Amino acid sequence: MNSEHGTSRQTREDPLRDREPSPEHRATVSRPVAVIDIGTTSIRMEVAEISNDGSVRTLQQLFQAVNLGKDTFTTGSLQKNTIEKCVRILKSYRQVLNEFQITKDDQIRIVATSSVREAENRLTFLDRIYSATGFQIEPIEEPDVVRITYLGIQPFLRVESALSDRRSLIVEVGGGSTELLLVQGEDVLASHTYRLGTVRLWESLNRMQSTHMPGREIMADRINQMVDQIQHQLGKEGVDQMVALGGDMRFAASHLLEDWTPDELGRLPLQELDRFADLILHQSFDQIVRKFRLSYDDAATLGPALLVNQTIANRLGLDHLLVTRFSLRDGLLKEMASRETWNTSFDEQILRSAHEVARKFHLDLRHAEQVELLSRKLFAALRTEFGIDVRHEVLLRTAALLHESGMYLESSGYHKHSMYIMLHCELFGLSRRGLLLASLVARYHRRASPKPTHQGYDTLSREERVLVRQLAAILRVADALDRSRSARVGDIECEIQERRFVINVPHATDLSVEQLAIKQKGSLFEDIFGLQVVLRPSRKSVS
Amino acid sequence: MTDTPQLFNRELSWLEFNSRVLGEARDASLPLLERLKFLAITGSNLDEFFKVRVGGLQLLHRRGVSRHDPSGLSPGEQLRRIHEKARAMVGEQSECYLNEVEPGLTAAGLRRVTGAQLTEKQQSFLRTLFRDEIFSVLTPMRIGADVNFPLLVHESLSVCVRMQPIEQFDGVDVPRIAVIPFNAYPLRFITLPSDGGGYDYILLEDAVCLFADRFFKGETILESVPFRITRNADLALQEEQASDLMSGMEDLLEARKEADCVRLEIAENASEELVEFLRKLLNLDPNGVYPTSAPLDMSAFWELVGISGFDELKIDEWLPQPSPEIPPTADLFEILAERDVLLYHPYQSFEPVIRFLEQAAADPDVLAIKQTLYRTSSKSPIVSALMKAAENGKHVAVVVELKARFDEARNIAWAKDLERAGVQVIYGIKGLKTHAKVCVVVRREPQGIRRYCHFGTGNYNEITARIYRDASLFTSDNELGSDAVNFMYAITGYSQPNRFHKLDAAPMTIRSKLLELIEGEIERKKQNQPAEIMVKVNSLVDPPLIEALYRASQAGVRIRLNVRGACCLIPGVAGLSENIDVVSIIDRFLEHARILYFHHGGDPQLFLSSADWMPRNLDRRLELMVPVESPENRERLIDILKTYFRDNQKSHRQKKDGSYRRIRSKKKMPLRSQEILFREAIDDSIRISQASRTVFVPHLADGESHF
Repeated sequence: MNSEHGTSRQTREDPLRDREPSPEHRATVSRPVAVIDIGTTSIRMEVAEISNDGSVRTLQQLFQAVNLGKDTFTTGSLQKNTIEKCVRILKSYRQVLNEFQITKDDQIRIVATSSVREAENRLTFLDRIYSATGFQIEPIEEPDVVRITYLGIQPFLRVESALSDRRSLIVEVGGGSTELLLVQGEDVLASHTYRLGTVRLWESLNRMQSTHMPGREIMADRINQMVDQIQHQLGKEGVDQMVALGGDMRFAASHLLEDWTPDELGRLPLQELDRFADLILHQSFDQIVRKFRLSYDDAATLGPALLVNQTIANRLGLDHLLVTRFSLRDGLLKEMASRETWNTSFDEQILRSAHEVARKFHLDLRHAEQVELLSRKLFAALRTEFGIDVRHEVLLRTAALLHESGMYLESSGYHKHSMYIMLHCELFGLSRRGLLLASLVARYHRRASPKPTHQGYDTLSREERVLVRQLAAILRVADALDRSRSARVGDIECEIQERRFVINVPHATDLSVEQLAIKQKGSLFEDIFGLQVVLRPSRKSVS
Repeated sequence: MTDTPQLFNRELSWLEFNSRVLGEARDASLPLLERLKFLAITGSNLDEFFKVRVGGLQLLHRRGVSRHDPSGLSPGEQLRRIHEKARAMVGEQSECYLNEVEPGLTAAGLRRVTGAQLTEKQQSFLRTLFRDEIFSVLTPMRIGADVNFPLLVHESLSVCVRMQPIEQFDGVDVPRIAVIPFNAYPLRFITLPSDGGGYDYILLEDAVCLFADRFFKGETILESVPFRITRNADLALQEEQASDLMSGMEDLLEARKEADCVRLEIAENASEELVEFLRKLLNLDPNGVYPTSAPLDMSAFWELVGISGFDELKIDEWLPQPSPEIPPTADLFEILAERDVLLYHPYQSFEPVIRFLEQAAADPDVLAIKQTLYRTSSKSPIVSALMKAAENGKHVAVVVELKARFDEARNIAWAKDLERAGVQVIYGIKGLKTHAKVCVVVRREPQGIRRYCHFGTGNYNEITARIYRDASLFTSDNELGSDAVNFMYAITGYSQPNRFHKLDAAPMTIRSKLLELIEGEIERKKQNQPAEIMVKVNSLVDPPLIEALYRASQAGVRIRLNVRGACCLIPGVAGLSENIDVVSIIDRFLEHARILYFHHGGDPQLFLSSADWMPRNLDRRLELMVPVESPENRERLIDILKTYFRDNQKSHRQKKDGSYRRIRSKKKMPLRSQEILFREAIDDSIRISQASRTVFVPHLADGESHF
């Protein structure tokens, strides 16, 4: 029989998911994990398996509606009923997790976005959930949402030729905010968050009417203000294409595109989106619920989300937009998978972004890059002996690139300014926590050693304190090695001997400047690693 | 299309179906007990029909509702035609029993004895039985114009006794009437001592009439007459029945008690006075009275069909065969990990379905089992496997559908057993009846989680699986597994329904998917490509789907429908449906599988489904439609579908006027589809038993090897 579907064992190529264990994967070991995303209108869970090669296979997707956004964005805090509904939902998810024997904390990641984070009583909420279900919810911020979602779509950018080398704007209209990510090929050029989301928009405009969408003109007015800013930030270059994320756009695409399966990139003509948005915006929620079998809450966000996407695309002069199925949960899973196989290409994204910042603040790039290179070598030499997680290398390298950024403000005490700048520049890709750690490493590249009273450092856990000390100690040595700012020391070989950390510098005759610098940098290295740093001209060059 | 209705009336079409069943009873080529079986089925079908269909119509009619149904008939007109047709059918049924079947049975030694025919010995036996047993169990109840009519149990038999009046009111005799309900006495067929060979029995009602004077000492009994009432079924069923007509008429539902009784069946020899008396008490329209000369409640004769001995009066048994794809000792999970397996019951045994659950219950790698259950029993091996699984620490969730009120007590007993064993039992879904048949086993394997599914078109009931023709699909397909688990999460309240990868479920997407598939054929035909649809369902009633099929016919798509029961589509009308052929197979096994075929541009799409093409299935029930994907299984299903359309023995073709004519071809070889499919199952099973003979599997001590 001529069948393009073939047998049930055949599966489509999927760049992201290994939907079915293929024979060559029989030897792989997989572990079940789950991510839960507490969003503005629903709580969604994805149960998946991560193989030891880092591939992710989704097993089940669950969702239940609960309108947290409505509470937070209208009254400022979550109502008791809503909290209890969340408890019920999460308890039921816990049962499902037990079925899959997903019981350990490191198998579960549960995040909450703006509707929880911005609620005045978020601590009450987090504690209530913890005591009822044992789930430790992690409230995450918009930049994290973008960062994590980007992780999810990143492999897709590699595979999808339509996206390669073009300036693409990735847009996610959420309940509380709209996230933008500007990418070119695989490079992230910029990321921004705007506090205009569907639920927030709807709640702020809908005080008077409750069964119909607020007036399109009023919404359009607000949206246009945001798009003005977006256009301003994109500059003259504009964008070549737009990728729309989010459930509302996925819904529109599955409705409008005949052959689109959520596993593919959909190409949605803007005209059709315009028409569809018109249709939706002219109906009551009841009509939408009945006609499209949506929940009431989803029906309420659909119109505004379509309008925002449509307005952005129109104003950017595009005639179509691209739709993917990727969500925050895909990113979260990818991040969990990357614990097993650390994704270095993502580090490259972060470092590229750090380079952008370095350029913006007029840093001595040659020095910054040399220190970064030396840091990396030192890190490699120490990592195994001291059990430093390879994933932390990117923190060190970011700190190395930006350790002098504070000079832009004032040279006296510039290391403290570096910390400030790093915390406030729009550095893409690091989590809030990661950014704090990197900025502390930069702060401690000179002068005082870390003290428990120092701002920022006082919030760290013991492991994090040790990490900051270790990385700052490495950065100090790297910085000292380029004291001449001539990049003359670069090709180093390190070895750990008894109580000594020997740095062999080939082809060097006089290393007194560097030696002195190391001495001036104090004893942080010896304190934390228990090793004395010894600079030695390489034997090869001596002989 | 014109404005004239282009649909047959659903009720009349259903009655046509029952006529075809009765037609089997009249088939002189069948053994007598097989013919009796079809008489019993005709009876129980009619009972069900009056119970769930007639009540709502009667209510609407009494309330003066004249809104027309899709075929253009008002409730009053429908009722008139229903009674007309049903009355003719009952007459034919009686005639068939009394003149054709019973004389043959009597001649063969299976004798129903009535009062006058009793031998002395038999009379004496009955007297004793009556005195010692029956008399103390049955309780007569006096009724009169001023006394409330006793609440008679729906569908159970009673005897009405009219006595000599002893007083007058305004110069008219006051009737003195009593009723003896049989519901407390379980036996209908009383075995009598017999001198010769064979089997003599008397029906309980005949015995009671004979001894009625024992209950009423000192009275003069004028007549004793058996009768039976059919009530409108419970509210839920009525809601279902009428919802296409009764939207927004909740007050009608409130009034349902007035219309409680929908039919009075009574022995033909009852006096007019007695019939009128009962009819008025029961608040029944005159056309609801069904006098009959044959015994009442023919469905009870099922019991006699199964009598031991009398083999010459029975059909040869067709025993379920093992599937060649599932050897009796094989590890099911191992087989299913490699390929999908399709079973066609009852030619192929239902045993693998039970083994699937038993194996899952014992397998240490199985994490969870999720299943729908409907009409089963504590003794069911499926229920005990589920209990065992829960006791072995697996997460077992079962959705139990509590059907009619009458079933509830029975259902609850085994459902409680399941709960005690640690099974999570969900008692149905509000507002939706769970009709989908799915069982999914979640298993942890070295390469990850794998889900093994069984999708069926019939209930998880090993008894009905011997009579109903159903299909089973086993698969470990990843997406179907994910969908099946998601479906179960949705109906057990863990998640709202997600978009499925491959499954379609009612009330969400089955109808739209079907419309899309039909439209696809239309489109291809318009582009001059081959297009074809073959559908096998039990009922085709849904107007939007019928309209889509008309459009397809008009576009030139060849459409062959195999609809066992009611079919509201009018076939063969020029300009409307000339490309549509409708057949119905009535044979020894009840046709129950729903199989769908769409040519799909040469890439045939095949589906199994739990849903009939009726509004209630597509809108108010939880149903599943499952794609069959492996080329071998698709081909097999196509073969099965085509075999039906070649049947020229047990097949009936629907005509333009809604009636059916049995297909008999003198030119072609006689071809009986059920028999062909049975022979094929035997051939398959012989093939494997021959193949397995050449392989010897020695039992070895653990760890020992020959080599």
